[in-house]
Amino acid sequence: MASEGRAAGGSGAADRVGTDDQIVLETSDLRRTYQGIHAVDGVSVRLTRGRLTGLIGPNGAGKSTLLGMLAGTIAPSSGSIRYDGHEITSIPTYRRARSGLVRTFQLSSEFKRLTVLENLLSAVQGDPGDSLAGAIFRRPQWRRFEKEQLARAWRLLEQTRLTAHADSYAGDLSGGQRRLVEIMRALMAGPRLLLLDEPMAGVHPRLAIEIGEHLLRLRDEGVSILMVEHELSIVDQLCDPVVVMAEGRVLSQGTMAALRQETAVVEAYLVG
Amino acid sequence: MAIYIASFGFGLVTASVLAISAIGFTMQFGITDVLNLSFGGVMITSAYIAYVVNSAGINIWIGLVAAGFAGAIISYLINRFVLTPFKRRNTSLVGMVIVTLALGLILENLVLAVAGPDNVSYTLNNGPTLSIGAFELTALQVGMIVLSLVLAGAIHALLTLTRLGKAMRATACNPGLARASGIRTERVISTTWLVTGALCGISGATFAINSASFGPTSADLFLVVIIAAVFVGGVGQPYGAMLGAVLLGIVTEVSAAIITPDYKEVIAFIILLVVMAVRPQGLIARARA
Amino acid sequence: MSSGTIFYITTLIVYGGVDVVACLGLSLQFGTAGITNFGFIIYQAAGAYTAAVLSMPRDTANGGFQSYVLGLHLPFPIPWIGAAVAGGLLAVPAGLVVRRSLRPDFAGVSMLVTAVVLNTVVDNFVPLFNGAAGIALVPSPLSNVFNPQSLKWQWMYSGIAIFVCVLVFLGLRLITESPYGRSLRAMREDETAAKAIGKNTDGLRITILVVGGAIAGLSGGILVGFINLWAPSAWTYPETIVLIAALIVGGRGNNFGAILGALLVPLGFLEATRFIPPFGPPGLVPALEWIVTGTLILVFLWFRPQGVVPERRRRLSKRLPAAAGPSAPGSGVVGVSRGQ
Repeated sequence: MASEGRAAGGSGAADRVGTDDQIVLETSDLRRTYQGIHAVDGVSVRLTRGRLTGLIGPNGAGKSTLLGMLAGTIAPSSGSIRYDGHEITSIPTYRRARSGLVRTFQLSSEFKRLTVLENLLSAVQGDPGDSLAGAIFRRPQWRRFEKEQLARAWRLLEQTRLTAHADSYAGDLSGGQRRLVEIMRALMAGPRLLLLDEPMAGVHPRLAIEIGEHLLRLRDEGVSILMVEHELSIVDQLCDPVVVMAEGRVLSQGTMAALRQETAVVEAYLVG
Repeated sequence: MAIYIASFGFGLVTASVLAISAIGFTMQFGITDVLNLSFGGVMITSAYIAYVVNSAGINIWIGLVAAGFAGAIISYLINRFVLTPFKRRNTSLVGMVIVTLALGLILENLVLAVAGPDNVSYTLNNGPTLSIGAFELTALQVGMIVLSLVLAGAIHALLTLTRLGKAMRATACNPGLARASGIRTERVISTTWLVTGALCGISGATFAINSASFGPTSADLFLVVIIAAVFVGGVGQPYGAMLGAVLLGIVTEVSAAIITPDYKEVIAFIILLVVMAVRPQGLIARARA
Repeated sequence: MSSGTIFYITTLIVYGGVDVVACLGLSLQFGTAGITNFGFIIYQAAGAYTAAVLSMPRDTANGGFQSYVLGLHLPFPIPWIGAAVAGGLLAVPAGLVVRRSLRPDFAGVSMLVTAVVLNTVVDNFVPLFNGAAGIALVPSPLSNVFNPQSLKWQWMYSGIAIFVCVLVFLGLRLITESPYGRSLRAMREDETAAKAIGKNTDGLRITILVVGGAIAGLSGGILVGFINLWAPSAWTYPETIVLIAALIVGGRGNNFGAILGALLVPLGFLEATRFIPPFGPPGLVPALEWIVTGTLILVFLWFRPQGVVPERRRRLSKRLPAAAGPSAPGSGVVGVSRGQ
């Protein structure tokens, strides 16, 4: 899928102070505790820009909690997160999304009673009609803007062969199609770092391959991706590097081939 | 000073009415995940049933029993024929509240249509005034406090000692798991509504006893206090409801002595708002799986 | 047409207009944005009271005595502007109480409880708005143009009511059919997902509570200028339920549905009962009205939850520029999609 540039100006590139330009996101001793249980127990990772990083681990390893903290839906108990060199630990989800940190959800969260095209358009940033004043007073401007964005959305629909469903309610589509809609919607937001929470879950294997190809293409165009995934074969094909979590901590990271050699990693999966 | 002691005593009486209703309300929420806003309507309908019994010259305590039966039956029917079907249809949380609102409206106005808009009151025998410590309460008031203690104790025994009670707690905590473990959750839910419905009915009658007079819409304002007590204690937690009832019963009555009684519910309301804003899960938070 | 008939028609128009404006406001909040404002009626009440005390003189000889605040004796349309402002302002604390982390049903119930308690407070606190007795002798707007007792005034007022309806309807249409409206609906569908694509849902919520509150306040101003009195009994919490019933029957999320619902339920009921001779003890007919309202809600929620006029599907593919789109040359994908 083509990810076109974001429609409005992004965050100030000028005030990135002295950070490694290759690191798009890093966490420092991130923790999240629930009533005495350490769901995430001191995670410090660095995500390299322009890579499709996999996040794997047995159930209960803390992957979803970590993703939630990165996205802003879960507040960390302690620790910090830096995105693009900026400290974002206390920044709310919607502002992270506006600076290009976009997430998808494990349970497909398309807007059910909006059409597919509406779903896609809703994610566009910088729409002049997306404010009360804009809606009432700047109709000619947002109509024009919408035409451009519709063309952009249509191209996405063509690539995923969903054009016939452009005006269908997203909730009426099949599971795999809804998953595609959610991913495309995230793309319309012009993400720089895409957080995917098990995008292939419950998806037909053929469609999973397609989605994988789209993700690789995205990566090649410069979008950084962090993907939580259970299906190790998918992770094998798509992800480099791969981070392994167990019991709230990072166990190891590297390529899948290398990780397969590490006894600690293998044991974590077997013992669970 | 005497006023404050006296109002503390009234607070205990109010708390006893509140406790019975709050336990019922919170358990209904716990097992069905619905804020049953028709609770007030069932209360007042049961209160009127007790009134009918009472006007036939029968002792009010028998009327209480009648109210309990009425509340149980009406609540059971509401759950079986309205709430469960709507729930099965995946009606949203808000949709369910609207459903209970509509039910409450229908109930209250049925009473209004049948009984007329004028306020009524029970013929009561208050009994001698007893002096307990610094409090002066009538025998009837003491009776109500004792009744609520007995009922609270009975609920406690039900929940902790009986198999049904354990099934209720399991279903409230995690219905899917309960069902998978072999608990007949539908039966448990129906029984819960019967029991809580009885509590609702009895509390309606005791509420009416505690009021000089009452009319079809008298319970509306009291429902605010019930909701406040439930949320303070932790929505879905029966023990929290008991705690919340005592707190709110006393606070509202004492504040009524300090300010005027007209604004009793305002205090409850402010407390509710603060709880919603600061700690919506209440004092005794529950872990719902 | 006899003057009696004319008075009846113009009264219908004004009441209908008030109900339509109120329902449109609630539709914006509940139908479009998914905000459960079960205390909606207090915004209309705030508007009515404000319009009243802005337009009344300091003292009104009511045969007795009324106590109320202000009394600035301001001319039309200032009291109506004040009414809208009051409705909007009242929404600000409400928006702060209804936090994002609250379950929607909890939030709705808090608003309902607020409405109940505010009604009690105003009912009891006489210096504010004359307590339970309410405020009477509210001046009719533009009484300097036409004699308020005359038919000409009735027609003028009906015209104003219709004008406001159309204005509100068009304004609301602009909002709901815009990208902003789409963001509101996204928030309604899935607030967490909406945040994940950059929607500031807290800001959206407060804004819509204020806008809806202002619209409700305006409707209160129109009403009080017509009936010249206002009391707590006019805005008890079930009045919000009537408006909710109107939306459920007419159609949530559709502005035409809101209008239809307003005409069918609050107005329709009022008029239907006018033709039924009062029977039984006093208060029986209103009680039956409420029973029917409650039953209507249950029946429609069960059999036709989307209402008579359901929410329209927005077919955006029609707005595609010709160069890209189903009819574009070379796009070649009409009707082909992998069925999955």
